[in-house]
Amino acid sequence: MINRREFIKANAIAAAAAVAGVSVPSLASNLITSSDITKLKWDKAPCRFCGTGCSVNVGVMDGKVVATHGDIKSPVNKGLNCVKGYFLSKIMYGKDRLTQPLLRMTNGKYDKQGEFAPVSWDKAFDVMAEKAKATLNKSGPEAVGMFGSGQWTVQEGYAAVKLMKAGFRTNNIDPNARHCMASAVGGFMRTFGIDEPMGCYDDLEAADAFVLWGSNMAEMHPILWTRLTDRRLSAPHVKVAVLSTFEHRSFDLADNGMVFTPQTDLAILNFIANYIIQTDRVNKDFVNKHTNFRLGETDIGYGLRPEHPLEQVAKNNGKTAGSSTEIDFDTYAKFVSTYTAEYTAKLSGVPVHKLEALAELYADPKIKVTSFWTMGFNQHTRGVWANNLAYNIHLLTGKISTPGNSPFSLTGQPSACGTAREVGTFSHRLPADLVVTNPKHRATAEKIWNLPSGTVPAKPGYHAALQNRMLKDGKLNFYWVQCNNNMQAAANINEEAYPGYRNPENFIVVSDPYPTVTAQAADLILPTAMWVEKEGVYGNAERRTQSWYQMVEAPTGAKSDLWQLVEFSKRFKVEDVWPEELIAKKPDVRGKTLFDVLYKDASVGNFSLDEIPKDRLNHESRDFGFYIQKGLFEEYASFGRGHGHDLAPYDRYHQERGLRWPVVNGKETQWRFKEGSDPYVKPGSGWDFYGHKDGRAIIFALPYEPPAESPDDEYDLWLSTGRVLEHWHSGSMTQRVPELYKSMPDALVYMHPDDAKARNMRRGDLVKLISRRGEVQTRVETRGRNKPPIGLVYMPWFDASRLVNKVTLDATDPLSKQTDYKKCAIKIVKV
Amino acid sequence: MKNILLIGWRTLTKPSAYYSLGVLVIGGFIAGIIFWGGFNTALEATNTEEFCISCHEMENNVYEELKTTIHFTNRSGVRATCPDCHVPHKWTDKIARKMQASKEVWGTIFGTINTREKFLDHRKRLAQNEWTRLKANDSLECRNCHNFDYMDFTEQSERAAYQHSTALAAGEKTCIDCHKGIAHQLPDMKDVEGW
Amino acid sequence: MKNLNIKSAITNLLAVSLLTVISISFTVVAADKLEINTVATLRDHTEIDTQKEPNRIYKVVNKDIKQGRNYPMQPPIIPHTIRGYEVNRNNNKCMSCHSRHRTEKSQAPMVSVTHYMDRDGNFLADVSPRRYFCNQCHVIQLDAEPLIENSFIDMNSLMKSKTVNTDQH
Repeated sequence: MINRREFIKANAIAAAAAVAGVSVPSLASNLITSSDITKLKWDKAPCRFCGTGCSVNVGVMDGKVVATHGDIKSPVNKGLNCVKGYFLSKIMYGKDRLTQPLLRMTNGKYDKQGEFAPVSWDKAFDVMAEKAKATLNKSGPEAVGMFGSGQWTVQEGYAAVKLMKAGFRTNNIDPNARHCMASAVGGFMRTFGIDEPMGCYDDLEAADAFVLWGSNMAEMHPILWTRLTDRRLSAPHVKVAVLSTFEHRSFDLADNGMVFTPQTDLAILNFIANYIIQTDRVNKDFVNKHTNFRLGETDIGYGLRPEHPLEQVAKNNGKTAGSSTEIDFDTYAKFVSTYTAEYTAKLSGVPVHKLEALAELYADPKIKVTSFWTMGFNQHTRGVWANNLAYNIHLLTGKISTPGNSPFSLTGQPSACGTAREVGTFSHRLPADLVVTNPKHRATAEKIWNLPSGTVPAKPGYHAALQNRMLKDGKLNFYWVQCNNNMQAAANINEEAYPGYRNPENFIVVSDPYPTVTAQAADLILPTAMWVEKEGVYGNAERRTQSWYQMVEAPTGAKSDLWQLVEFSKRFKVEDVWPEELIAKKPDVRGKTLFDVLYKDASVGNFSLDEIPKDRLNHESRDFGFYIQKGLFEEYASFGRGHGHDLAPYDRYHQERGLRWPVVNGKETQWRFKEGSDPYVKPGSGWDFYGHKDGRAIIFALPYEPPAESPDDEYDLWLSTGRVLEHWHSGSMTQRVPELYKSMPDALVYMHPDDAKARNMRRGDLVKLISRRGEVQTRVETRGRNKPPIGLVYMPWFDASRLVNKVTLDATDPLSKQTDYKKCAIKIVKV
Repeated sequence: MKNILLIGWRTLTKPSAYYSLGVLVIGGFIAGIIFWGGFNTALEATNTEEFCISCHEMENNVYEELKTTIHFTNRSGVRATCPDCHVPHKWTDKIARKMQASKEVWGTIFGTINTREKFLDHRKRLAQNEWTRLKANDSLECRNCHNFDYMDFTEQSERAAYQHSTALAAGEKTCIDCHKGIAHQLPDMKDVEGW
Repeated sequence: MKNLNIKSAITNLLAVSLLTVISISFTVVAADKLEINTVATLRDHTEIDTQKEPNRIYKVVNKDIKQGRNYPMQPPIIPHTIRGYEVNRNNNKCMSCHSRHRTEKSQAPMVSVTHYMDRDGNFLADVSPRRYFCNQCHVIQLDAEPLIENSFIDMNSLMKSKTVNTDQH
């Protein structure tokens, strides 16, 4: 007796067999047992999404990704993924994948006002090269620019830096990581003189207390959150403190949850320092041996356009903004003594007893404490300060660089560390922490690149926010955007980015797998291969470098960012881009293309195709005739080897689930700056902050300063923006996965029920969020995962159909140039 | 003060010599009505949400938590106020509950739960009081609105219909067994049956 | 007669779905024809400086019907509403139905065995705390229609087409 469902199933198979004209055996007809048919080809790759850097196993069948799951061999995630990671299999298969370049045209000719029409790659590059050359001739290298990404592979970022800084001789290249962790970089460089965290994820299993500073790890770094949860729930003495400007999912685990008034984190950090000093818990031995004290410049402005009233009144928003003077401990102690518990409680809205419980986690010498932060600190007009102040409290107590004692700056993007920071795709940087303003650093780069001295320009280029302003002002005319969606990400697009992209003087190229909002604003769209459709390397937040092979072919017509960059370089002769006096210094480059000079004839071209395993795909290398990913990686790695940034040989990364640099004598480094763990530490020193010549880290005296914009009578609410668990950044990949889309389809505005009631609104009401810059419509949400306090609302930015960045303010940290997306003043009205 | 009390006491205890029995009975009856009415009015006044949340312990903790739940805002706008669930409708039960509540007033005056942390420390005990009461009276206050006899299972989700038509129908379970935490956040649920 | 009808209906359905699979893979390879004259696919074809009226807040799908998985390792979707279900330091509402010792009463699926393993793959007596927050992997679905179709191919379709091919040769 079979039931109805089984009957239908059996019949369906029989029917299928009948269609195919074959018979199937009556037993086991619904189970395929032949191993050569059920076999999947599995391979490892880092996850495409956040900075956690989980490793995933990717299952391929017939040239398609058919399954993904968390890699049990990876020390990062040990078999786990978050919901986005589990759906990686589907991100490449959105129906609207781009497969042909699209150019705005009228009557078959490029026209800025025309409609998008498909063109060949040849035609696309013809138009692009013509526009680039015209711009170079008319306005010089400073009118050419590129906006890249912390989601580029290491090799793509490196190829782009070379093309822009050496090829086109412009420093106008910046990554979207500028929006993400530029303040973290500023903090590291200022306090330690060398970038990136000293600790590693192993701190998660060693700490007795965790403090989340504005970070909503539960949604933004879910796998690290699983490790933190594991630690908290399996070791009952462990405490979790969570600070934010609104209550969110991470509060679900908090022993001490604190909602503070925006910007007052600066005061809370100084209060903790004061508390440590007042209760006599400064680790004097550590402080005397390993730190210096400095007083930082104040009143540094808000990184807005110079004519903005706030910049007019700021005293030190010029070149001196980052300067500081040496002080002693007593002066520092006096400086922070203003930040009493009562004063800080009043300013921040956090009760005294909660502040003291928080401070005690740092002050108690028996508690190993790890601090985590991401966008809360970094997207902050005093972001570098916030980072500095966090290091202060770890340095005052000596709670640093040992297991569980860790000030840990998390990153947002999968290779914000690996590509944006380590490769140096910023407008002021070169690989391995070198900067363009330092003549010695430029000379190092020119030597490794085998280029004449003076090739790399000394003046820092336009950073992210400035690029949009310069596009609008018509100073930046040829602009290439790769691997990001800045028209959905950049703040204040109404006044800057959108008029900038559509400025008739400019030609905008956008490379993307999908038609994004940014692509929509472009003049030429280039269809792009993504993730495991190419080979690459990512570097995560704990300095772990991970590689992957190309596993499937991209849709015909789509090409990787790397291929696009390198192929485009063939269109330029050295004479097109370099002045005669530069060429004269190295006459053998005469008549060569940038492809020859920068890639093929440089050490990039040193590795033959034979080094690629025969069964591996590699569309770029097989096109260019050499193993380009290995060549780019090895040349780039030569910047850092022997200088504290050592990377292993390229091939090793294909064997490992990543290695944490510096990799010295084949061994990775877990905790930097600590003797016994970091090979660069001078023997006998205990700790050695070798980023600074004297081996000492700096404790900075920096005050609380108010935000650029606060609510007033007319614009009476704070607006914070941010991400959600279910979508990656602007949602261009995850919104195309039906399960993820349906779990979180629209960006709603989260508000307190009383705020809604006071405005005669209720859940679901159609409302307008209005700022001095623009407006966006959405619907009210008064319940769910985020619980804002009265006076603050939260709206995520993943939703391409509701652009909250028309409303946000493009105020930046004057030191890091990173935009503050967490606070501006708005009003909300019913539509 | 002492004297006034003393005189009053004597008057009350002294047998009546000046008023007729009739006056006394009728007067007493009228006074009784006034007193009774006043008592009930006062009682009713304490039986409103405004009264409950006039203490900040209630407003900042349990009431704030209620705001996002289905008992506060829902499809038809029928909402539960504090006394709907926490004060029995039957007079005797009500009085009993009110006498219990005097302890809560005591708590307010002496600051037993005047911070969120203190409230959270006491939450399990407070919640258990309510669960015990509702378990003992077969979830009477739930049933004042949610009457089993009139539930349309076809309008419920499959899961809910299954549980309601079996465990609830058979009397094995009462509402509060499954619906703990429906209007306020839960305490630590360690050792609570069904968790 | 009735059976025959069902059979032929299923045959048709299967043929159609086979065709769809083929045509989907075809479009992935050669989607060279742009059917729409704008690229604003996630923006309901509106220009950047404009905005269409946002749709209503969608409702949670609460039908308790299990949804198929795209591959065996995919975490199952939650087929019911979870409004008011607390998962926090104090308690985990999901486990009051889905934990091993509750499933007999609740008839809900038991959390998979992988959830009992710690970071090093050892089995614990209860669900590992690293899996504590269910909604990091398991999400509800709202009744929204996806804006863009996804042409991901289930490995089953690929295998089926191969069994057909092998049998033919």
